[in-house]
Amino acid sequence: MERERGTLSPQASTADKIARSHTIVEVRVLACKVMATTACFIIVSRNDIPIYEAEVGSAMKKEEAAHQHQFILHAALDIVQDLAWTMSAMFLKAMDRFNDLVVSVYVTAGHILPILMLLHDSRNEDGIKSFFQEVHELYIKILLNPLYLPGSRITSSHFDTKVRALARKYL
Amino acid sequence: MEPDVSIETDCEIRVAVLPIGGPIPPPRLRDYLSMLSGHRRVDLSSVSSFYTEHQKSPFTHQPWDSGSLRFKYVVGGAPPSPWEDFQSCRKTLAVVGLCHCPSSPDLSLVADLFAAACKPYTSALVHRCFAFCPSDSQLDEGKKVDKVILFPPSDRQTQEIHMLTMVQDLAASLLMEFEKWVLRAESAGTILKTPLDSQSSLSSEEVIKAKKRRLGRAQKTIGDYCLLAGSPVDANAHYSTAIELARLTGDVFWHAGALEGSVCALLVDRAGQKDATLEEEVKYRYYTVIQLYRRAYLQDNAQRVSTVSFELEAALKLARYLCRQELAKEVVELLMGAADGAKSLIDASDRLILYVEIARIYGSLGYQRKAAFFSRQVAQLYLQQDNSFAAISALQVLSLTSKAYHVQSRGASQKQDTLSNSLGPSHADGGKMHQQSVVSLFESQWSTLQMVVLREILMSSVRAGDPLAAWSAAARLLRSYYPLITPAGQSGLASSLVNSSERLPAGTRCADPALPFIRLHSFPIHPSQMDIVKRSPAKEEWWAGSAPSGPFIYTPFSKGGSNDSNKQELTWIVGEPVQVLVELANPCGFDLVVESIYLSVHSGNFDAFPVSVNLPPNSAKVILLSGIPTKVGPVLIPGCKVHCFGVITEHLFKDVDNLLLGAAQGLVLSDPFRSCGSGKLKIVSVPNISVVPPLPLLVSHVVGGDGAAILYEGEIRDIAISFTNAGTVPVEQAHISLSGKNQDSVISIARESLRSALPLKPGAEVTLPVTIKAWQLGMMDSDHASSKNSSGVSRISKEGSIPLLVIHYAGPLTYNESPKNGDFVSPGRRLVVPLHVCVLQGLRFVKARLLSMEIPAHVHDSLPNPIFVDDGSAEVVTSPNSVNSLVKIDPYSGSWVFRLLELELSNPTDVVFEVNVSVRMDGTNNGNGVTSIQNYAADFGYPKTRIDCDFSARVLIPLEHFKLPVLDGSFFAKESQTTDGLGSKISNPAERNSKAELNASINNLITKIKVRWQSGRNSSGELNIKDAIQAALQASMMDILLPEPLTFLFTLAKNGIANEGIKSPKELSEQTIVAGDSSIQSASGSNTRFKGSISAHEMTPMEVLIRNNTKEPIQMSLSVTCRDVAGENCIEGSKATVLWAGVLTGIQLEVPPLEEVSHSFSLYFLVPGDYTLMGSAIINSATEMLRARARTDSSEETIFCRGSPFHINVVGAL
Repeated sequence: MERERGTLSPQASTADKIARSHTIVEVRVLACKVMATTACFIIVSRNDIPIYEAEVGSAMKKEEAAHQHQFILHAALDIVQDLAWTMSAMFLKAMDRFNDLVVSVYVTAGHILPILMLLHDSRNEDGIKSFFQEVHELYIKILLNPLYLPGSRITSSHFDTKVRALARKYL
Repeated sequence: MEPDVSIETDCEIRVAVLPIGGPIPPPRLRDYLSMLSGHRRVDLSSVSSFYTEHQKSPFTHQPWDSGSLRFKYVVGGAPPSPWEDFQSCRKTLAVVGLCHCPSSPDLSLVADLFAAACKPYTSALVHRCFAFCPSDSQLDEGKKVDKVILFPPSDRQTQEIHMLTMVQDLAASLLMEFEKWVLRAESAGTILKTPLDSQSSLSSEEVIKAKKRRLGRAQKTIGDYCLLAGSPVDANAHYSTAIELARLTGDVFWHAGALEGSVCALLVDRAGQKDATLEEEVKYRYYTVIQLYRRAYLQDNAQRVSTVSFELEAALKLARYLCRQELAKEVVELLMGAADGAKSLIDASDRLILYVEIARIYGSLGYQRKAAFFSRQVAQLYLQQDNSFAAISALQVLSLTSKAYHVQSRGASQKQDTLSNSLGPSHADGGKMHQQSVVSLFESQWSTLQMVVLREILMSSVRAGDPLAAWSAAARLLRSYYPLITPAGQSGLASSLVNSSERLPAGTRCADPALPFIRLHSFPIHPSQMDIVKRSPAKEEWWAGSAPSGPFIYTPFSKGGSNDSNKQELTWIVGEPVQVLVELANPCGFDLVVESIYLSVHSGNFDAFPVSVNLPPNSAKVILLSGIPTKVGPVLIPGCKVHCFGVITEHLFKDVDNLLLGAAQGLVLSDPFRSCGSGKLKIVSVPNISVVPPLPLLVSHVVGGDGAAILYEGEIRDIAISFTNAGTVPVEQAHISLSGKNQDSVISIARESLRSALPLKPGAEVTLPVTIKAWQLGMMDSDHASSKNSSGVSRISKEGSIPLLVIHYAGPLTYNESPKNGDFVSPGRRLVVPLHVCVLQGLRFVKARLLSMEIPAHVHDSLPNPIFVDDGSAEVVTSPNSVNSLVKIDPYSGSWVFRLLELELSNPTDVVFEVNVSVRMDGTNNGNGVTSIQNYAADFGYPKTRIDCDFSARVLIPLEHFKLPVLDGSFFAKESQTTDGLGSKISNPAERNSKAELNASINNLITKIKVRWQSGRNSSGELNIKDAIQAALQASMMDILLPEPLTFLFTLAKNGIANEGIKSPKELSEQTIVAGDSSIQSASGSNTRFKGSISAHEMTPMEVLIRNNTKEPIQMSLSVTCRDVAGENCIEGSKATVLWAGVLTGIQLEVPPLEEVSHSFSLYFLVPGDYTLMGSAIINSATEMLRARARTDSSEETIFCRGSPFHINVVGAL
């Protein structure tokens, strides 16, 4: 009995480890695009912790507004997490809105892997979709970095510049 | 907008509840209200008894058996709504007054007041005033004042029945009023006005339109009343008509209203049923309603009055109706639409209500974050109002959101924890939490939002005047998000903490800890003086097995057992202070003053001592927290209590541990300890701590100072160690053992003196002398010491090399105050007393050398003279001349080659040493007085050799004289006793075979050489040079130990003819030839005896005694030679100066084993002077043994044996 337990537990722990290493990659990316020129982009990890946030719009750099954007995105998570399981598409447009702000989401692969979401003002849908796709690729590159702890904040300045460049390009 | 709307709102009768008269105590009021508000629904069947049909009821389809009236009590009443004609449920149809009689004695006054209070409620159809707790006089008076209904004082149940009756009566009255109203409206028509209508300018065309519309609106209102009267079928009929009419007249707004009413009627009709078709129907109609309202809004957009609130209310009603998980998407869509409508709301309070309702519906949908978002919007709206009540509301709403944002106060979350009991056990055990669960702790930590929410809570609580909430929020903000706050902001928070605490009473506690961060650093193990050892009472050595014994500090086997459970055990003792190290960190940019910090112990058997700490910015500090266990039992230390910023908080260790784990996984912003420069520390789990009854406590100190004793190598010193029992329990058992290095340097311990002192009462003292001999410094040590010496720092006692005195002691076996568990054995203790000895390098032994010399060669130098003195029993030669006494030769020894052991010693130290060589003659002899030579005094009286600093000296140790006899002794012990012979035949085979015996005797010999030294007055010791001596002697050991096979002895034969036996040494003594040289002349006592015994020109009869030292007979050819001072042979040759008689050469003799043969001859000296007589023999047919002794290999070689020379002093004629 003892022996069985002894042999089983390491397997269990490795299985657990594998599962964790897979699930830890789950990250949701939220972006909030506000009006024509304002947008707030956020990547939310599996644990609902924002691991990257950027105000990518051109106008309204007020801190107060930035907070409000994040509040909207945070609230939208409720809906996103509900809907992500009922839809097969990765790009879910205009899932939530508040006042003039629309949330669009890009859910990354398989729902437990990163999910991407986007909020937008129903304008330039294709651009937002491309933006998400490219950012997703960037994120995967970040994940490949062995020094990056999945689920922790993305502090790479390179990533930041790239995302901002993409935002300028597509949004 | 109205709060709390639902589809069923349309069928609720609004009743204003007003307190009347004197002030009602709040609990009373609550009590009365609860009695009233219990009756929200009154069944028509129960109403029927109070109902009298005055005329034919318009409610033809009233369901008397199943229907009911619904009430909505509005406490405090409400101002009349401008829209009450549009929706009758908005009318306040009844007024209920509540009166507390004791505070309003005059009932008629109450009646008047009530009448006045009812005035504003123009649409109220029924008024009732209930008075509670009337006195007897009031009861009497109440009969006169019929407007006031008195509730006679009785128990609660009776009063509730009374209330029920009253409510049923109220319902019946209302029903009758409704009938009246409907009948009047049907017959005479009614004027219905809404704010919309008042605005419309009445053109002629519109007047006609309005007349048409009026009919539809009347129908709609009658429908409303039917609904209120609990008759949905009637209502539906009227609504249908109204809808038709409204559609025809394009009265969009009333169309929507009627449609809304019809849905309500439908639901009331189908009460309790909820099928898909009904739901579809409701959904369809309500979407139409919303559409219609929107259209109405767009139409009337130009007007001042907005009807958008009806659209939003409709949306909320539908959302609330649909509010289920499966329909979440639709609900969300509705709510999103409603939220968008907020922009068009003009009134801020309308927006407030809208957001509140949205938040509530999201909440009931399970969308906590959405709910929190809208709650926060509500709070912001509240905060826009500038009064403290709004701030309080904002604070309350924000506290509701704090859970969704994961910033809730610990006080609140703990309550939830105890309710759900989810994380309880895992928290309690304090062990290593699973990684996953740690991750879950940091889920949804959206720091930006959390900071904003906390800041808002802080702001609103400051405005609301709630200092504790402000403190808590500021504490949470500072503790969790300090890395995101600028130093200035941190200081601001700190000052707001201080400001809040100033408004709090002293000693306020808060569930949320602020700073500093506290983690467990370590539990300092007991100092070696207080070590606790488990006691196994069955064993004699009760401490064995419980503590690492033996030479190893770390014993893998003993550790194994306790390591299985990763929690270590800790034992504390009642009444003995204990200490715990904790590390505090202040990662903020201001000086943190911790007024007091102490261990928080929940088990109640521990007195913790507070400490106050000052932490500079960005610093960490390890501090020692102490306390005294007060009672036996387990101790739990979950954290520390901290009095900081004016409030007492409890800081739990596990929180910080989790925080550090989170930081390690990148989930938390930063590790407060690392940012303060403190190193990474393994997470220390709180061990299982148990408190045991008092134990004895021995305290030791070295008498004469605890400093290290400084000893030179080999020095012997007594150290007295005194032990005091500082505990409160007597020591009953004690055992001393040694451990550590250089254990053998402890020569003796007076164990008895300790044992005899037992039991050692509290406060008693015992002194234990210990004798230490300083050990030899090793190679490394001496290098070290010398280098230290040069630098002048020589007094370093190396902890590693000192011996330790380990004392296991224990008190009484069981603690008499805990009789409940008989098997409880109070543990013992271990005291480790390091014998602080600092060994300095002493006399340095350089080398040992064996010097051998022939005596004749030294004859001229007045060097060692054999002086034979009397006394057969012992061949001790004691010369009166002390100089000569250095060398003592026993003529019987037969060995003439003289050997000295030279020891070269150097003194590298800075003190003077005096060296004294001695030979210890202990009882190795076998008691045979004749043969053993132990009468050598232990001390030869050699002068001490003084060795000055940095000088070397040589010490000579003669080996001949005292070694051989010892050897003989040992041989005799082995062999059978032989005659008188001193030289037993050593080289006999048995002896040769037993090498071991030989080695033993060598060792024996070496151990007898003692080189003692003395330095100063009280340092003395002994050089340990055995190995060196052995090395020096090894080569020529045989020569030293073995005697010659033949020994020769010349004696004077007084009687001319050789007497037969000079066998007895006693006789010998009379006639001994003493080969005296110059010393004889200067002779004292003994010399004079011989004077004149040999003179020139005289025939001197002599004899030579040849002794066979072997065990076999030896045949030989003996010759005797005589030489003069010049070494010339003076017997033969041309210039012979000595004449002789008898045979001197070629004498054939056979000597039996171990016996002597004498050969007589006479000499005639012609010239006075010194002569030397020497016997020599050529051994015929020598045995192997003899050859071996002679060290020859070839059997052809002749073995020549020469005796030792004898000096004769021939004096001239007298």
